[in-house]
Amino acid sequence: MTNTDMSKTKGASFVKSLLNAWSWLFLVIILGFFEIYAQTQTGNTFLFRIYNIQSISVAASQILLLALGLTLVIVAGHIDLSIAFTTGFAAVAMALVIRFVGPEAGWFTVIIAMGVGLLAAITVGLVNGWLVAQLNVPSFIGTLGTYGIARGAALIVAGGATVSIRSDEARVLGNGHILGIPIPVVAAVVLAVICHYVLTHTRFGVHTYALGASRASVERAGVDVKRHLVYLFVISAITAGVGGLIYTSRFSAGAANAGEPILLYAVAAVFIGGASLTGGQGTIIGTVIGAFIIAVIQFGLVFCGLPPYWQFVAVGLVIIVAVLVDQSKGRLVGGST
Amino acid sequence: MRNFIKSTLLAATLSVSSMAHAQEDITITLIPGLTTDAFYITMNRGAQAAAKALGITVDFQGAEEFDPVLQTPVLDAVIGRGPDAILIAPTDTTQMIEPLRRAHDAGIAVITVDTFIDDGKYQDGLGDADFPYSYVASDNVGGGRMAAQFMAAEIGGKGKVYVSNVRPGISTTDQREEGFKAEMAENFPGVEVLDTQYNENDASLAASQFQAVYARHSDIAGVFGANLFSALGAGNGVESANKADEITVIAFDAPTSIVNNISSGLVDAAIAQHPAEIGYFGVMAAYAVLTGNSVPTTIGTGFTVINAENVDDENIAKYIYSE
Repeated sequence: MTNTDMSKTKGASFVKSLLNAWSWLFLVIILGFFEIYAQTQTGNTFLFRIYNIQSISVAASQILLLALGLTLVIVAGHIDLSIAFTTGFAAVAMALVIRFVGPEAGWFTVIIAMGVGLLAAITVGLVNGWLVAQLNVPSFIGTLGTYGIARGAALIVAGGATVSIRSDEARVLGNGHILGIPIPVVAAVVLAVICHYVLTHTRFGVHTYALGASRASVERAGVDVKRHLVYLFVISAITAGVGGLIYTSRFSAGAANAGEPILLYAVAAVFIGGASLTGGQGTIIGTVIGAFIIAVIQFGLVFCGLPPYWQFVAVGLVIIVAVLVDQSKGRLVGGST
Repeated sequence: MRNFIKSTLLAATLSVSSMAHAQEDITITLIPGLTTDAFYITMNRGAQAAAKALGITVDFQGAEEFDPVLQTPVLDAVIGRGPDAILIAPTDTTQMIEPLRRAHDAGIAVITVDTFIDDGKYQDGLGDADFPYSYVASDNVGGGRMAAQFMAAEIGGKGKVYVSNVRPGISTTDQREEGFKAEMAENFPGVEVLDTQYNENDASLAASQFQAVYARHSDIAGVFGANLFSALGAGNGVESANKADEITVIAFDAPTSIVNNISSGLVDAAIAQHPAEIGYFGVMAAYAVLTGNSVPTTIGTGFTVINAENVDDENIAKYIYSE
């Protein structure tokens, strides 16, 4: 890979981000819709209330933590379904350590517990990487297998139930603020910035996009593709694992199913954000917008008092629109990506 | 009517001839709604206590999620092993009827615990599923009413409240909501019950739903969480709004995570069922059937309200569901 390749990819990603403008536009439209609704029906603002923005951001960050690493995996042309229970495994592992130490567990214990939770997550990532890279198992199948294994492991170590904890430190971590920003949001922003940097400003990112486009060419360029795949699945496991740590801290309970209902929203966020099932496309910014679109819809429809099942319909419609836009991209610009 | 008498007589004859067993080789399988819930784990403890007292064997086998698609294969495997009786918490009122009929046809006595099939009224000659011998559970409608009474007292009989629930179609959580709403409508006209929010067991979504309801109705007075994740999420939403002192959160069920939140003030009260009693009396009812005795077609177990005042009382502690 040379500098010319690098700048070419940058140019392509600029074109792509222009094309992805529809998701910005969509987010603005739904925010505008809810703002107008709020102004006319309640006489209040929807968007310009710190409380609403904080609530939506926290909901989006829980989706985003699963979606960030997943974006990298999908860009490389793979998928990681195991994150649903990587999250739960990390959540349960963290809760168990805190419970083992007891009610006087201080910051030191909480930090150790988070380390253990992350290690549990990384283990799942390593197994995924090994299956996909070394054994050439298709990632959809391989991670479906580890989806089950991580779920079972989480339930086994938790003794089948939700592991409740009593720790003021963990509670602060899940529900506190830094400079007025909820800590779960801070965690998601930090990881999003790192993932964005990795994907757009490093050789690793260039290789990830290239891997999604053509594995053979990346191999010809002398990149250790197997090792690269392992790294990708470990990154995916880490962001999902952080999601689990946040979950345990927010709810003072480690639940094996913490990430399960969120998996589909995370996958949806990545695709709404402009990624393609065939790989080679997708950006962290797009995924962030995708997660916000879902969180805004979920929050806004409840705010409007619409019957709850419209949430599912709305998120489903957005996914279909996203895929349609994705397909028309190629026709519009003649496959510039 | 004549048919009914005939079939009852036939059933009685059958139960005498085929169901009288020597006590020590009686085996019963308890199939919970899901194996990963402190409620059912506590129920199993009650069942094991009864098994020990009777000198019989009770197995615990189930799926890890509350879902008829997952419960049916477990049930089929259990039927294949052929216990004398099955105690089951059916995961759907209609979808589990045919799978359970297979158990009945194989000569296995069926008793439902916690949840029911069909209309929940068995052995009366009416309905599609008349074959289970008994339904052992807490009266969830009554529990919902109890939650409403407690809520109304906490909020002074007026204000806006809503139910945070899992999804429709689950007999128990539907009944809790039904009881809660009925009690409010009948006895507390000053309380306005807003639309129910369904969270699919996602505490994070339940929290965000509370925040959205609060954004719209800043005068919200209380939330009734119909199960663990609904209450955990609603409690978290209340905390994020810094309204733990003003907004009443009542939880149905009392696993340790809810009880911890009572101690910390996030949840104001929990309506605790007595799952160990359900397990205990379920096994006793099955044993009675298998030894040729009659059983009531419904057996109701009790509730206890746990709040900040009694949470540390040891007489109350036994009602906390524990792993």
